[in-house]
Amino acid sequence: MNAALDTKEASAWRIRARQFLAPEFVTPAILLAPSILLLLVVIAYPMLQGFYFSFTDGLLMKSGDFVGIANYTKLLSQPAFWHSLRFSAIFAACNIVGCYLLGLGLALLLQMDMPGRGAFRVLLLLPWIVPSLVSIVSWRWMVNDERALFNQIITLFGGDPIFFLSDSNWAVTIVILIKIWRSFPFMMLSLLAALQSIDRSLYEAAAIDGATRWQSFWNVTLPQIKNISIVLCLLMTIWSVNDFDTPWLLAQGGPANATENLVVLAYRYTFARNDVGMGAATSFITLFVLMALVFFLLRLQRRS
Amino acid sequence: MTNDTFFKRWGLAGLMAVICLLVNLPIILMALNSLQTTEQILASRNIIPASFSLANYQGLTNTPFFTYLRNSLVVSLGATAFSVTAAILGGYALSRFRNGLLNAYSTALFAVQMFPIILALIPLFLLFRPLGFINSPVSVIIVYSVVNLPFVTWMARSYFDTIPRELEEAALIDGCGHIEAFFRIVLPLSGPGLAAVSIFAFLFSYNEFFVANVFLRNAEAMTLPVGIQMFMQQFSTDWGSLMAAATLTMLPTLVLFLFVQKFITHGAMAGGVKG
Repeated sequence: MNAALDTKEASAWRIRARQFLAPEFVTPAILLAPSILLLLVVIAYPMLQGFYFSFTDGLLMKSGDFVGIANYTKLLSQPAFWHSLRFSAIFAACNIVGCYLLGLGLALLLQMDMPGRGAFRVLLLLPWIVPSLVSIVSWRWMVNDERALFNQIITLFGGDPIFFLSDSNWAVTIVILIKIWRSFPFMMLSLLAALQSIDRSLYEAAAIDGATRWQSFWNVTLPQIKNISIVLCLLMTIWSVNDFDTPWLLAQGGPANATENLVVLAYRYTFARNDVGMGAATSFITLFVLMALVFFLLRLQRRS
Repeated sequence: MTNDTFFKRWGLAGLMAVICLLVNLPIILMALNSLQTTEQILASRNIIPASFSLANYQGLTNTPFFTYLRNSLVVSLGATAFSVTAAILGGYALSRFRNGLLNAYSTALFAVQMFPIILALIPLFLLFRPLGFINSPVSVIIVYSVVNLPFVTWMARSYFDTIPRELEEAALIDGCGHIEAFFRIVLPLSGPGLAAVSIFAFLFSYNEFFVANVFLRNAEAMTLPVGIQMFMQQFSTDWGSLMAAATLTMLPTLVLFLFVQKFITHGAMAGGVKG
């Protein structure tokens, strides 16, 4: 009886072993080996180590002692943390709404028949493709001082010049505008591809039923691009929360920390204040916030 | 074609031309103003400069601009070599095989695409320092290879998807192994696709700021974005040189982008949707 079980189990193992040694498994495993090695060295191992660091009081120059959850409790008691959490949320929300409206509008225009359409598509992608530093230099030039382009326009209409980069609210507005400018092309491109994949016959059927253009947009186009829209918003949320370049290059998170998001805060803890434990804790909280958002948006998609 | 649709088409094209101009205004103004000296810029502040000179560009020869440029090229070429090598192998596996390992890998790539990179940068900084990788292109090359990996792998995969399987199947029947068939048959056919994939990897690395800013801390080692950012902090009033440096930095990006723009819908969609 026992012996029979053993042989059965043994043959099951043999089958499994043969599956693992079959070329259908071994070949892709060999092909993936370099990529997996890179991911382990650069992502997985540092992530585990960072998780440990978030429970220590280490410095950049010397490793610290285990302090339990002290970093996390300290972080949650700091106004700077709640401020940057709020800024990250506002930044992401405004960026998604702005990019979606601009991206969808331009995608709808680009879908129409016109001469030079290909060239327009390429030209509208440029803000996305230029280096972040270049886009910040060019925008700073337009808002830098009282005689910059924006202020020339404001004074032309009789207003007083605004110091965009030294006023907290204006700095937040500008950093959001720049982020929208830098990221709407991705939204536009993806929505354009989605619009072009909608079955033409749906529009013909709607036209036969006497639908107006607005009705066919509302009842055909929007439902057809709904799923891709949710995925795109998900990606945009993540990329906005993870953005370091835009707030840092514009004003180093200033004025008075007004444009300091979670990533800038983590960077500052680690590399300016030499507090690795707090920096690691802040970046892990960023990860938790992102995971919560992803979870929420995926539930939203599943329900629909 | 009736007159009505003719006007509609050209009217729409005119509208789009205006939109493109407005959208790209910041870059256009920067490029135009880089042709004026700082004194002229601060004196007149006209939107379109009255006189043009290349003084700012000549002035860049007295700055570390060309050191930064050389560093940028070393870093970007290194990162491209690593990430494209890993990505074509991975992309081919994803294109031709189906199993649990590949599904898990696909999910991992999607997670990397969304990963807050700061999380890895702090431990990596501490890991690299004793190895002497800080202020060396090695650190940045290694990290870029991974940051680029998802997009580049998806692009390579979608390119391999367009190459018919029948070509390899003939070779497999003749007793050739899968990996051998890949190197002998699929890879030689993938020239244009690989060129596009490599250019994208190069562009991402060349444009990147955050990672380089963490690891490259002395002027000898800095890439263009990090070096120019230093310049922007220190000489915030020398707009002429700053805009010339930024314009020159942007040029390779624009030229390379024009070569690969037609591939981009493919890659962006694959990255965004397939997951």
